[in-house]
Amino acid sequence: MDLFRNKMRTFLTSLGILIGVSSVVLLLSFGLGLKEYIRQQFDSLGTNLVFVIPGQIFGNSGSGFSGMRSVVQFDEKDFISLKKLRDAIYVIPIFTKSIKVEGNAKVDYATLNSTTDEIFPARNLELEYGRLFDKPEVDKKTRVIVIGPKVIEKMFDNPVLALNKSLRIEGQTFKIIGILKAKGGGGFGGPDFDKFIYMPLKTGYTLNPDKKIANFLIKAPDNKPFDLFKEEVKMQMIKRYDEDEITVADSAQFISTISSIFGILNMVLVAIGAVSLLVGGIGIMNIMYVSVTERIREIGIRRALGARESDILYLFLSESVLLSLFGGAMGLTLSFLVVLIVQKFFPAYIDLMSSIIALGTSSLIGIFFGVFPARKAARLSPIDAIRYE
Amino acid sequence: MAEEIIRTEHVWKEYMMGDVLFQALKDISISINLGELVSIIGPSGSGKSTLMHIIGLLDQPTRGKIFISGNDIASFTDDKISSLRSEFVGFVFQQFNLINKLTILENILLPTVYVRKKLEYNPVEKALYLMKRFGIDGKEKSYPNKISGGQQQRVAIARALIMSPKLILADEPTGNLDSKSGTEILKLLKELNQEEKITVVIVTHDPLIAKQTKRIIEIKDGQIDK
Ligand SMILES: Nc1ncnc2c1ncn2[C@@H]1O[C@H](COP(=O)(O)OP(=O)(O)OP(=O)(O)O)[C@@H](O)[C@H]1O
Ligand SMILES: [Mg+2]
Repeated sequence: MDLFRNKMRTFLTSLGILIGVSSVVLLLSFGLGLKEYIRQQFDSLGTNLVFVIPGQIFGNSGSGFSGMRSVVQFDEKDFISLKKLRDAIYVIPIFTKSIKVEGNAKVDYATLNSTTDEIFPARNLELEYGRLFDKPEVDKKTRVIVIGPKVIEKMFDNPVLALNKSLRIEGQTFKIIGILKAKGGGGFGGPDFDKFIYMPLKTGYTLNPDKKIANFLIKAPDNKPFDLFKEEVKMQMIKRYDEDEITVADSAQFISTISSIFGILNMVLVAIGAVSLLVGGIGIMNIMYVSVTERIREIGIRRALGARESDILYLFLSESVLLSLFGGAMGLTLSFLVVLIVQKFFPAYIDLMSSIIALGTSSLIGIFFGVFPARKAARLSPIDAIRYE
Repeated sequence: MAEEIIRTEHVWKEYMMGDVLFQALKDISISINLGELVSIIGPSGSGKSTLMHIIGLLDQPTRGKIFISGNDIASFTDDKISSLRSEFVGFVFQQFNLINKLTILENILLPTVYVRKKLEYNPVEKALYLMKRFGIDGKEKSYPNKISGGQQQRVAIARALIMSPKLILADEPTGNLDSKSGTEILKLLKELNQEEKITVVIVTHDPLIAKQTKRIIEIKDGQIDK
């Protein structure tokens, strides 16, 4: 086969496909990695969780104004109502607010979470120093807080020094009894969990005079289908609210919403990668035309010895497909190597689908861009071809 | 009565050279019988090669009919004509027309690649036999540009014979060879005609070659001379 004789030309021609395939495959793998990364982030914040949030956040109606309607406000009545769910492992009310904190004569900003002690196991929050608050402290409205490591980062050189010190939140003093392990987050515009301050719910009423509850976190039992449990939560909530006034969601819904946003971005990037495939295809077409011209005499000889038009067509078509497939395989190999390195930092991966897409498109490109030169070769008149000098 | 293998009826071949009509063949009607040894002779540009290409189904006449064993080829599809080119006729060209990137053995076997029917013999064995018979054995793995012209033409003849055709068309087969190799090639073609009853048509401009065949067709300015 001519491809092996003309190694340099074969390599240069398939370079376009190599670049195209590897950029498409790598972008797909980063997209997959991003999805995996988001999933890991959610998983690290606890699994089997049902979120109860006011308003319609997944706007199924398509009306972008849902967020602008007067949104319902949860309160202690909802907490009591949800606690009637007998299968729920935890029912956790959360009030959140952005706040100014002062300590050690320095000022910073953080996110307040007034909640119950159940938040710690539900969200897999682990302690680094000190202790967590417990149920009696929640009930007794003790003025204690457990904080993420970044809250006091600017105030104390060593977090241990902050332990049992007090922190001023909006002018009121609370005692730091525990400091959590770093959790990460804050990437991709999400919240920075290490800047969270946890406070017993009722203690927090001094900062939340309306006694509002922003949302509920409910841990589903293992022995019941998750969707069934989610439905029960919803039934409990629509006793008081209309179905479209609230959202009962799980992390999968958040993940798919986030990844669909990134998915659009990814598609745009993949489309850009596809352009280089197109350019690669045109390169193949070009070199195949050259090859046909160089081999006109050979085509004539083959026709004189009995080759049909279709034999000549396949001769050139198989070469262009092989050329393109060679580029595709090299591109895929290169992508695997790159992903192997990237995996040290980011959970990117190449799935079977991407590999099939890569090799499939390169074959199709070989056929599509090879068919014009191959047809030209096949349609040469045998006598003109054999007389060609 | 001798069996007819090929016949042309009022065959014309015309080319448009710009605005000028050029007639390469004018009203050619000939008939060749099975087992004949014929030469087509004429000066350069008289239309010998054109006629040979039409007889060998490589080219089509502008007007007129071609019959293969009595069948008008006008009704044949391009695929049918392609398979006749591989099974019915074997070409030998002045420029040998071997494919340089294929080995000698691959060149000889090339017609068998394009056959759709099952061969009754082992083509590799036959190729090796032909090479031995023509004194080019041992060159299987060589490439055409590594052997002499005389050897290349033997390879071309072996290739023409690999499908056991009834007709061999040789266009100036000795034109590119020295007289010694030329004589040997000619002897070989005559042997094939005599021993295997293969119909052989030799195109030449050399009367000394034409004289060695039983029948001479003379062509001049695209017309049969006598
Ligand atoms: N494709 C073509 N277009 C125009 N003219 C052509 C074409 N093919 C052949 N001819 C002309 O037809 C005439 C006959 O050509 P042909 O090759 O048959 O001659 P020939 O008898 O074989 O000559 P030679 O002995 O030199 O090989 C020549 O004048 C040639 O120029
Ligand atoms: Mg000629």
